Amino acid sequence: MTDATTTQTEQTEQTLTDQLTIYRVALYAVLITLVGFFLAPIEAGLVTSFKTTAAVTETVSYMPPGPEGFTLQKWETAFDQLLRGLINSFVFAAPATVISALLGSMTAYGLTQIDWRGQIPLLALLIAGIFIPYQAVLVPLSRIWSVYIPLTDLLWFVWAILGISDDYGRLMALSISHIAYGIPICTLLFRSYYKSMDIEMIEAARLDGASVRKIYQRVVLPLSTPMFAVVLIYQFTQIWNDLLFALILLSSSSSPAAPVTLILSGLGVAQQGTDFALRMSGALLTALPTLIIYILFGEEFAEGVAS
Amino acid sequence: MADLKLESVTKVFTDDDGSDIVAVDDVSFDIDDGEFLVLVGPSGCGKSTTLRMVAGLETVTEGRISLGGTDLVGRDPQDRDIAMVFQSYALYPHMTVQENMSFGLEESTDMPDDEIERRVTETAEMMGIGDLLDRKPGELSGGQQQRVALGRAIVRDPAVFLMDEPLSNLDAKLRSQMRTELQRLQEDLGTTTIYVTHDQTEAMTMADKIAILDDGKLQQVGTPLECYHEPANLFVAGFIGEPSMNFFDVERVGEKLVHDEFEYPLSEETAAAVADTNDLVLGIRPEDIELKTEGSDPHDFDTVVDVVEPMGDENNVYLTFSDGGDAETFVANISGMQHVESGQPIVAHIPEAAIHIFDRATGKALRNRKLDEVEELHVQL
Repeated sequence: MTDATTTQTEQTEQTLTDQLTIYRVALYAVLITLVGFFLAPIEAGLVTSFKTTAAVTETVSYMPPGPEGFTLQKWETAFDQLLRGLINSFVFAAPATVISALLGSMTAYGLTQIDWRGQIPLLALLIAGIFIPYQAVLVPLSRIWSVYIPLTDLLWFVWAILGISDDYGRLMALSISHIAYGIPICTLLFRSYYKSMDIEMIEAARLDGASVRKIYQRVVLPLSTPMFAVVLIYQFTQIWNDLLFALILLSSSSSPAAPVTLILSGLGVAQQGTDFALRMSGALLTALPTLIIYILFGEEFAEGVAS
Repeated sequence: MADLKLESVTKVFTDDDGSDIVAVDDVSFDIDDGEFLVLVGPSGCGKSTTLRMVAGLETVTEGRISLGGTDLVGRDPQDRDIAMVFQSYALYPHMTVQENMSFGLEESTDMPDDEIERRVTETAEMMGIGDLLDRKPGELSGGQQQRVALGRAIVRDPAVFLMDEPLSNLDAKLRSQMRTELQRLQEDLGTTTIYVTHDQTEAMTMADKIAILDDGKLQQVGTPLECYHEPANLFVAGFIGEPSMNFFDVERVGEKLVHDEFEYPLSEETAAAVADTNDLVLGIRPEDIELKTEGSDPHDFDTVVDVVEPMGDENNVYLTFSDGGDAETFVANISGMQHVESGQPIVAHIPEAAIHIFDRATGKALRNRKLDEVEELHVQL
């Protein structure tokens, strides 16, 4: 190779490296802008939640408070006011999530691994169920729970024995509504997962003498963990964040059984003006449980989404 | 008694558009207690479907399957006292080897836990997987998984083993090793077995009895050597044996078989066997063709060597009758110590005792090779 060609090759390599560097810089610039775009509102909410009422009006919203404008007061107030709601929300959301996931998994098992007539119409019905908008069922839903199945009255002895408000009957109604509403989507998620399961393995279990119930219990269910993580996270977030059904079935944030979203909607709103710091800390506090669930099941979630 | 009987078993699948597909067509065979039957055929011939019907994983459209005299049709798989080994092994990935093997006993019997554990350990030792009991299937090699799958079937001590191409996922070396081991295991246990494969070598080497299926129809049931030397029809003749039997489309004219390239004189006896059928197929196994440098026998033919495939112990020699470019070739199998070269002329001797003659229209064998010359090697003890 002559000197001339060597230099030329070097030059080409140099230009290539230059181009690559420019490309990298541009890429990171875009990425950082996007990250900023998504994080800015959360950052603004977070810093605002630590500001005194005076600091909120005096400082720019996304700047951290100065030493004299910093306070934990708002978080304390938010916690005091929301604690009841957080507990109520957990009481209705946790069972609703687990039960809808479990029922969805069982339905999907029945639709994939067992052969019987009428699977297609049932599947069609379930898929249709996914697309029913919340708004369309508000009136029938409230009538069912107030006129036809008034749990507050029917289970009066339960509330009496537990010594709690009969409004918890409405909370129970809310929980059951979410279970019913969640079954279609849970079924669909589990169905796609079970369809990819090794059929020969299920057949091996049948030949091993296991009944339909035993196969579900000992083979299908233990292998569903990744999909349960996906469904639990999705359902919990959906149910926890719901405001519409809660508003219809419990109606008042002053109810002892009011879930947290209902109380949050009125938090920090007064005639004197909106307490932004209090609203921010309340919102962050309410979002915390969904975040915790995600962290707890993160690993299985990734596995489930990948499958 | 665990003798399995299939009588006129038929399976018809109905397609989405309503048309019927006959997967298994009027198949009947018996398997005696303790016998090893290999069900062999090309892919899609219905052999797996037949096996799945015996297992109860597919319904039977028509016919009867009985085990030791009791009818199995309509019974659930779990009530048939049958264990199956799948091609994919179908192990439970979340259970350890121990749990995989115990599962069947726990579900199908009310045996106490310590008895189950004893039997699992015993079987695992026998299969050489005693030290793997705490591992999960994902941590095992293909060969080890295979042993677990077999062990899982054996530990249940069923009346019948069903095996659906259990060795096809192993590499060649391990496969031949497992073949021998499986055969010995079956002999020791004496359990009636149906083994499905598309590999004729497995069928020949392992079977007490072979059942050959093609296009859902049973072609022949017999011992491996019967199927090899006395094939019932063209399909069996071509399917069993590697390299395959050579076939020539011939026409019978008087006492001769006439091919485009050669004429083959027949003895009176052979001609009588053929009777008055004229459109025939002449078949000859590659190892029955002798190669000579010269010959004048009426069954000697001048040929040209096209391709030589040396295998070490033997050579597969592809021959043509004329030196034409696209001439039809046939294969002769000669000793590895005999050397021929591509392009050289050679005389091929096709002995009359070894020829097969088939009816071209029906495929039925009219005359099979004679086994007079079989040499018996018996040592006097």
